[in-house]
Amino acid sequence: MSTVETSAAIAAIVGAVVAVVGCAWHVRWMFSLPFKGDVATAKGSASKGVMYAYTLGMAPWEKESTRRHMVGYLRGVLFHVGIFAALVVFVASPWATVIWPSVRLLLAAVACLGGIAGLLGLAARFGEHNLRAISTKDDYFAVALVSLFVLTSALAVLSPSAVPVFYVVSAVTLVYLPFGKVRHCVYFFFSRFAFGVFFGHRGVIEGARSQ
Amino acid sequence: MGKSDNTELTKKARELLRKQVDRKLAAALETCVRCGICAESCHYYVADPRPEHVPAYRAEKLRQIYRGLFDPIGRIAPGWVGAVPVSDQMLDSLVETSFASCTMCRRCTVNCPMGVDNALVVRAIRSLLTATGRAPEMLEQLAEAAIMREEGLEYIKDLFLEQIAELENELREKVGDLKARIPVEEQGAEILYVALSGAHTILPASVLFYATGTSWSLSLFEAANYGVFLGDTPRAKRITQRIVDEATRLGVKEVVVSECGHAYTTLRWEAPNWFGKPFPFRVRSLVEVMAEWIEKGKLKLDPTRNRLAVTYHDSCNLARNSGLIEEPRTILNACVTDFREMTPNKQHNYCCGGGAGLVALPEFSEQRLNAGKPKVKQIKATGASIVAASCDNCRHQLGELNEHYEMGVEVIGLAELVVNALVLDKGRVPGKEPVVAATV
Ligand code: SF4
Ligand code: SF4
Repeated sequence: MSTVETSAAIAAIVGAVVAVVGCAWHVRWMFSLPFKGDVATAKGSASKGVMYAYTLGMAPWEKESTRRHMVGYLRGVLFHVGIFAALVVFVASPWATVIWPSVRLLLAAVACLGGIAGLLGLAARFGEHNLRAISTKDDYFAVALVSLFVLTSALAVLSPSAVPVFYVVSAVTLVYLPFGKVRHCVYFFFSRFAFGVFFGHRGVIEGARSQ
Repeated sequence: MGKSDNTELTKKARELLRKQVDRKLAAALETCVRCGICAESCHYYVADPRPEHVPAYRAEKLRQIYRGLFDPIGRIAPGWVGAVPVSDQMLDSLVETSFASCTMCRRCTVNCPMGVDNALVVRAIRSLLTATGRAPEMLEQLAEAAIMREEGLEYIKDLFLEQIAELENELREKVGDLKARIPVEEQGAEILYVALSGAHTILPASVLFYATGTSWSLSLFEAANYGVFLGDTPRAKRITQRIVDEATRLGVKEVVVSECGHAYTTLRWEAPNWFGKPFPFRVRSLVEVMAEWIEKGKLKLDPTRNRLAVTYHDSCNLARNSGLIEEPRTILNACVTDFREMTPNKQHNYCCGGGAGLVALPEFSEQRLNAGKPKVKQIKATGASIVAASCDNCRHQLGELNEHYEMGVEVIGLAELVVNALVLDKGRVPGKEPVVAATV
């Protein structure tokens, strides 16, 4: 391993540690806050509501908004699938050479599509006046950075020479994760949970309604 | 509106926000990814599609403060995450954002892939504004009036009882029974019925209680709770306490709330959270009770007495925030001959624009009437002549929309439709005249 490769690998490990510790901090902070679910007698089931919130409730056909913005929503879904592929590449990278070529190719293809979806999302953020009005600099930077992370993962899985670059990009992305918009990856679970409890308990979600 | 220096204001805002941030609000503040796909779920945006009407835009206003106060990056590099320092000017600008441009209907929440509760965020803004003396005067006065009614009850009780005695005469005439009563402070009654100001929320319910032989008592207080609209939990709790005390004093099994969206949501769901435990009595809406009477065959109804086409406006508080979705349909299918659904409906229905105290604020009537455009379109598309609504605020707004947009419909409550269709024993129908002119 060359000095550059070693330094990039160390940077990536440091990034991963910062990301994990940072996310753990956010989780801990959330659990330190009170959660006030409704105490009144339920009209539906909170647990069924939570189940819905994490599963069917995320389906693109379930909401008027996602039906209307199907392309944008699926672009976002693809971007996130790409992120998962990139994370798999990150974790598996030390053993990249022993991974089956077909699996490597699949990961690269998914990451590549995901990265492109991310960049298209970024372009939409620049181009659409509603999105411009609600976006912060962090929003642009985070999407650009994560798209780069996803795209370099595609390169890294195909060509070992690109791994140090991928590690450096990963390090920056992972260090930034707990501080910027990307930390929604932690809060998403709390938000959907609260959604499921609220609308499930009150019997608003159809599948959670008491008979 | 008191002006204070920014250091003091910042300190106060930090304290107020810190007190409010629980796990739900933190999730709502942290999770939004600014994807903007909630835009068209908001009736304000549909009526007037500009960025200020995107739900996330409103919520960003509180996030800007929150980031400046609590987010490390927001404090080091505010411009990066859009943090904004607290100032009088910025708080003043939030009055319209939170009191005039959001009815806290949660249509955006059910449409957000992340489940972001923008209504909760707007409520937190209202709370902040109320605590810093910026809430609309009218809401303040109405909340105070509710509290004063209890404090001065001994002085106004006689007048109230006189008014009820007059209504009781109307009831007797309507049902043709001199023994029919509107009981008040009836110890041991099964139900405490909490109405709103105005005979239209008392008389139809009285007819139905009479027809079903229900043991009931009319509350001395009104169901409306303006403390909720102010985002002022202590005051909202105080207003609720009056009803809780009355129900406990009379030993009722159940409190039934008149057809009112926010009053029902408050008493059914929110208030028990403030008291930290469920109430020792059941809380239901008159809508649920009527649906149950119909299902159990306790009401004999002749739907041909309501022959005109009727559509139903789902109140956001009753449907989307309380799950009262099938009950109104049970009622309508039993008491009218031509019920037509709006599209979208049930928990997906558009807000009429009158919720969250908006109908009480004349200074924002232009925004309110404008935001009602999607509702007008929905109603017109049904071709119905009658719009039924189970919320007084909705009915008020729909009535104004009716005039403003010349819809030529009649707006009434479900109880009035049920009474119109009611057949009393031996085939009698209540009164010579229907409660409203809804029959042909
Ligand atoms: S509230 Fe939800 S739908 Fe709207 S911008 Fe935020 S994440 Fe997107
Ligand atoms: S709660 Fe209702 S009024 Fe408020 S932003 Fe959401 S959709 Fe619009």
